[in-house]
Amino acid sequence: MTYVIAQSCVDVKDKACVDECPVDCIYEGKRMLYIHPDECVDCGACEPVCPVEAVFYEDDVPEELVHCVEINASFFTELGSPGGAAKIDTSQRDAPVLERVHP
Amino acid sequence: MTQISSTDLGLPGLRSGLDGVPSSGEKQTGKDFTSDQEVRWCPGCGDYAVLKAVQNFLPELGIRRENVVFISGIGCSSRFPYYLDTYGMHSIHGRAPSIATGLATAREDLSVFVVTGDGDALSIGGNHLIHALRRNVNMTVLLFNNRIYGLTKGQYSPTSEVGKVTKSTPVGSLDHPFNPVSLALGAEGAFVARTIDSDRKHLTSVLSAAAAHRGTSFVEIYQNCPIFNDGAFDAIKNPDTKADAIIPLVHGAPITFGKDKVTGKPTKGLIRNMDTGAIEVLDLGPAADQYAKDLLLVHDAHNPDPSTAFAISRLTDSGYLNQTPIGIFRQVERPAYDDQARDQIRTASQAATGAPTDRLSYLINGGDTWTVV
Amino acid sequence: MYSTSEASPRTKQVRQLDRVIIRFAGDSGDGMQLTGDRFTQESAAFGNDLVTLPNFPAEIRAPQGTIPGVSSFQVHFADHDILTAGDSPDVLVAMNPAALKANLSDLAKGAAIIVDTHDFTGRNLTKAGYATSPLDDGSLDEYDLHRVDLTGMTVEAVKEFGLSRKDAARAKNMFALGLLSWMYGRPTENTVEFLSRKFAKVPDIRDANITAFKMGWNFGETTETFIVQYEVKPAAMAPGTYRNITGNLALAYGLVAASVQSGLPIFLGSYPITPASDILHELSKHKGFGITTFQAEDEIAGVGAAIGASFAGQLGVTTTSGPGVALKGEAIGLAVMTELPLLVVNVQRGGPSTGLPTKTEQSDLLQAMFGRNGEAPVPIVAPQSPGDCFNAALEAVRIAVTYRTPVMLLSDGYLANGSEPWQVPDVAELPVIEPNFATGPNSTSTAADGTTTEVFLPYKRDEATLARPWAIPGTAGLEHRIGGLEKGAEHGNISYDPANHDLMVRTRQAKIDRIADSLPPLEVDDPSGAAKVLVLGWGSTYGPIGAGVRRVRKAGYNVAQTHLRHLNPFPKDLGDILARYDKVLVPEMNLGQLSMLLRAKYLVDAIGYNQVRGLPLKAAELAEAISELVRSAEGKCLP
Ligand SMILES: Cc1ncc(C[n+]2csc(CCOP(=O)(O)OP(=O)(O)O)c2C)c(N)n1
Ligand code: SF4
Ligand code: SF4
Ligand code: SF4
Ligand SMILES: [Mg+2]
Repeated sequence: MTYVIAQSCVDVKDKACVDECPVDCIYEGKRMLYIHPDECVDCGACEPVCPVEAVFYEDDVPEELVHCVEINASFFTELGSPGGAAKIDTSQRDAPVLERVHP
Repeated sequence: MTQISSTDLGLPGLRSGLDGVPSSGEKQTGKDFTSDQEVRWCPGCGDYAVLKAVQNFLPELGIRRENVVFISGIGCSSRFPYYLDTYGMHSIHGRAPSIATGLATAREDLSVFVVTGDGDALSIGGNHLIHALRRNVNMTVLLFNNRIYGLTKGQYSPTSEVGKVTKSTPVGSLDHPFNPVSLALGAEGAFVARTIDSDRKHLTSVLSAAAAHRGTSFVEIYQNCPIFNDGAFDAIKNPDTKADAIIPLVHGAPITFGKDKVTGKPTKGLIRNMDTGAIEVLDLGPAADQYAKDLLLVHDAHNPDPSTAFAISRLTDSGYLNQTPIGIFRQVERPAYDDQARDQIRTASQAATGAPTDRLSYLINGGDTWTVV
Repeated sequence: MYSTSEASPRTKQVRQLDRVIIRFAGDSGDGMQLTGDRFTQESAAFGNDLVTLPNFPAEIRAPQGTIPGVSSFQVHFADHDILTAGDSPDVLVAMNPAALKANLSDLAKGAAIIVDTHDFTGRNLTKAGYATSPLDDGSLDEYDLHRVDLTGMTVEAVKEFGLSRKDAARAKNMFALGLLSWMYGRPTENTVEFLSRKFAKVPDIRDANITAFKMGWNFGETTETFIVQYEVKPAAMAPGTYRNITGNLALAYGLVAASVQSGLPIFLGSYPITPASDILHELSKHKGFGITTFQAEDEIAGVGAAIGASFAGQLGVTTTSGPGVALKGEAIGLAVMTELPLLVVNVQRGGPSTGLPTKTEQSDLLQAMFGRNGEAPVPIVAPQSPGDCFNAALEAVRIAVTYRTPVMLLSDGYLANGSEPWQVPDVAELPVIEPNFATGPNSTSTAADGTTTEVFLPYKRDEATLARPWAIPGTAGLEHRIGGLEKGAEHGNISYDPANHDLMVRTRQAKIDRIADSLPPLEVDDPSGAAKVLVLGWGSTYGPIGAGVRRVRKAGYNVAQTHLRHLNPFPKDLGDILARYDKVLVPEMNLGQLSMLLRAKYLVDAIGYNQVRGLPLKAAELAEAISELVRSAEGKCLP
C-alpha cells in the first residue's frame, strides 16, 4: 500500500505535503508532485495538509481517479528508488502520461 | 560442535544470531510479514518508517515467519508487534527485555526482537535493559528514542534535553538525560548501534548486522514524534545541516564528517588527543594535509576494549541534537547467556540416563528413607 | 552403645513415653539447625511420627550471645500419628543464657532444661539481660534443670585432634546431640555416616565431631546427672517408603514431578528471598530434568522471564514471598490477560513490608486473591503440611496448564522449613498433565464471495474448560499477537468495544469458576455426625487445627473439621457444608482473611480465631477456643 497524489495537484504544487513527509518520498515533477510507492511508509501525514485534497490512501482513491495510482508509480519507472527527494532534482520531468498530454 | 564441559564457558566459535532458527526455504516478501491490523500511529510518526523498514528487512533474514517473535513494552512504539504477522506479545511497561529473556532462553529456534521506547527502556525498564545487555541473551533490542513520552501525551523522558518544557515540566525539566549508547556500552553491551528512522538504508543495514549478531544487540533508533517533540532530529535530517550533524561510523574507515560546499569532501574528523586521551573533533579545512589525515581515528567496532566506543558516544549532544555519531559503535563476540544456559542443561541431560519417570522416582526416593511394612 | 566396656551393666531406668517435644536452642553460630535436623533424621529412621519447627533469626549474624541471635529447632516425635511440632517443649537444650531467656516462657513448669554451664559467663548473662545467673538465683526451681559443661567436656574429648580451642568448642552441638540421642534411644549410625560425609575433606573436624557425638552419648550413659532413659516406640504408619522432608524440598520435587508428568520443561524465574530461596537452590540442581533456573535482577524480571518461557511453550514458574508478589502484581495480570500457564509460588512470611522474614504467617491470602488491578481472578492452591507441598505443586500446575492461567500456590514459612515423614509416592500413580498445544487452525472464515479459509482464533475457547488454545511460536500458520490490552472474543485482536470488555471480564472469571468442576468433594471429618460446630482452615494450620480438634473430642465434645486446599475457586460443596453447622470457626495466622471471603461469598457468620505471632497456632489454646464455641453452640454453660 501507499499514498498517491491525484490530478488536482496539477499546476497547484504548493508543496505543503512535502514538508510533512517524514521520509522525503514526495518528489516534485514539472506539473505535479508524485509519491514514491515503495518509499512511502503510509504514515498519512501528507493527506490532511493538501489544500486541494489531492492526496489519497491507495485504497481510498475515488473510482474516477484510480489511474492516478499508476501515474504516481510510472514517474519512478526510470528513476528507480533515489531514497529521498532531496537527493535528486526531478522538477523538469513528469509522468509519461502527463508529458504526452501536455508536452 | 565439540562437547563443551559444564564449566567451560569459552566461546563455542563464532555463531550467528540466527543459528538454530529454521530457514524459510521459499522466498518471502514484506507482505508475508504484514498483519491485517490497521496501523494506528499519528500521521507522520517516525514509527511508520521503522515498521516499513522492518517489514521489508525481515524477509531478507530468510527465516520462517513462525519462528520470529516480537516482544514490546508499553508506549506508542510498543504497538509494533500487532502490525507484523509473526508471533508477538505487547506486554507491560518496561518489562519486555525480561519476557524476551525467558523466551529466548527457552527456545533456541526463535529469532527474538524487543521493541521499546526511551521511557519504556530507560525509565521503568532501565533495570531489565542493563541486565539483558550484561547477560547478552540472544535478542535484538530496538529502542525507539523520540526523547519524549508519546503515549501518555508528551511528558519529558529520560532522554529529553535539560530544560525541556512539557506538560509535567512547565518551567523546564531539571534532570540530566541518558545517552542510550553510552548506557548500553557501560552495561557491557556487545553490540551497540544507533540509526535514524527516516534513513531506511542505514536502518536496514544496522538491523541486519544486529540480527546476525549473537547475543543482545542494542539499536537506538532516533524517531521523530511530530506531535509531542517535532523537530527533535531536524539537524540530522535537514539536507543542509545533516552532513555536519551526523558523524557516520564505518568499521575500518577513518571517522570523518561535514561536507565541503565546493569539493564535497569531509571537513571534520575525529582524532585522539594524545595529551588527554580524549576523542576530539579536528577541523580538516578545505585543504587538509596528509598529516592531519593520518591522525584520524579509524573506527574499530571490534575492539574488545569499549573505551574508545564510549568516548565516541560522548560526542552526542545531550541538549538539542546538533551532533551525533551514527552507526555501529561496538560489535564484539561474547558468550550468550541463553546458549550457555542451554549447554548446561544439555550436558546434565546427556549425563542423566533412564526414563524421566524413573529418574523422578530415584530423586524422590533419595535421602535417608525407611520402609514400613 | 559407645560405652567403653561392653560389659558395663545398664543401671539406668527406662521410662516409656508416647511423645516428646525437644527444642534445641543456641546462638546462630552454634549449629542448632544441624543438631535438630540430625535428631529428626534419627527419629525418622527409628520410625516415630514427627513434626519439626525450625526458628531462625532474621539476621544471619546477629551479635553473638544476644537474644536476636538465638536460633532454635523444635522436634516433636511420637509413637502415634501427630500433627504439630508441639506447643510447649518437654526438654529445652540451651547453649547460652540468651537461648534460655528467649525460650523459657514457652516451657511448662517441670519441663527439663539442659544448659551448657560453660557459656553462662558474666558477659553472656549481661548480653542476654540477666542481672543474676538464673542457674543460681532460684528462678529455675520449678524446672528440672540439668547443668552440664557441654563445651568443657567437648574440648576435653577432642583434645587429641589438635584443633584450635575455638574449633574444638564448635563440636559441642554434636556432644549435645549425642547426649540427647542416648536419652531417647535414637539410632546413631546415620549421624556418624552423615558426619563422615559432611566433613570428608577435613579429617580433624570430622573426627572431632564424631568423637564429640560419641562422648555425648557415653556421658549420658555414665553420668549421675541423668538417671532416666526414655523410650518412644515407633509409630504405626501405612506401609510404604518414607523420608523426612521439608515443605520447600517437597514443593521443588512436586515441580520436578509436574514437569515429568506434563512433558513441559520448567523455567523458573526467581529472585532470592527468604523463605522461598531454597526452592530456587533445589531446582537449580536438577538441570538433568531439563529445568532452567534463572536468577533474575528482580522479582518483576523473574516473573517476566517465566511468562516469556510460558509463551515459548515451557512451564513458567516464579517463586517468592509476599514482598515479591507485590512487585509481580502487574505481570501476573498480564498472564491473566494473555491466558498463559504460570505458577506463582508465595512462601508467605510475616508482613507487611519486610515484616518478619524468617517467621510464618498466612496474611497474603487477600493479596493472592485481589492483589492486582482490574478483575484479575487467579486460582489459589494451598498445601496443608510439608509433605503435602508435593501434591499441591502438582495440583497447581494441573490447573495452570489445563486452564491456561496463572495460579498462586500459597505455602508459608512454617511449611517451608518444617518437616515431617513423607510417604514417597509411586510415580506411576501420579496424575498426567496434558499440555494440548494447538497444532492447526481451529475455525473457518467465510469471505464475501462465499469462499472459506481455515483460520486460527487464539481466543476461541474450549467448551468445557473455557481455556484458550496454547499456540507456541514455531507453529506455522498460528502466528498471533497477544498482550495486556483487552482482547476481542475469539480473534484476540485489540478491542475497546464496551460489550466485548464486559463479555471478556465475565468470561475470564467464568473460566476460573469452572475449575471448581474439576475439584473433588470436600472431606468433612465429623465422626459423630452430631457436631454443631465446624472448624474450617486452610494451609499450614491443618496440623494445629487437627490437634486441637482431637483434644476437644477427647474431652467428649462433638466438633467437625474440614480443610481447604482450593481457595479460589472454593469447592462447589463448601456452601452446603457451611450451612450444615450452627457455628463455623476459622483459625488463621492473619486477622481474618479467609473469614472475610467466606462471609462475602456465603453470608455465613464465620468466627475468626486469629493470631499473628509469626509462629504456628498452638493446639492447646485453639482447643480451648473450640471447646468454648462448642459449649455455647450446644447451649451448655461454661464450667
Ligand atoms: C506501570 C505503568 N506505568 C505507567 C504507564 C503509562 N505509560 C504508558 S507508555 C508510557 C511512556 C512511554 O514512553 P516511551 O517509552 O518513550 O514510548 P513512546 O510512547 O514515546 O513511544 C507511560 C508512562 C503504564 N502503561 N504502565
Ligand atoms: S499539498 Fe497537495 S497540492 Fe500541494 S503539492 Fe502536495 S499534493 Fe500537491
Ligand atoms: S503517507 Fe507519509 S510517507 Fe507516504 S508520502 Fe505521505 S507523508 Fe510521505
Ligand atoms: S504521539 Fe508521537 S510517537 Fe506517538 S504515535 Fe503520535 S507521533 Fe508517534
Ligand atoms: Mg518515547
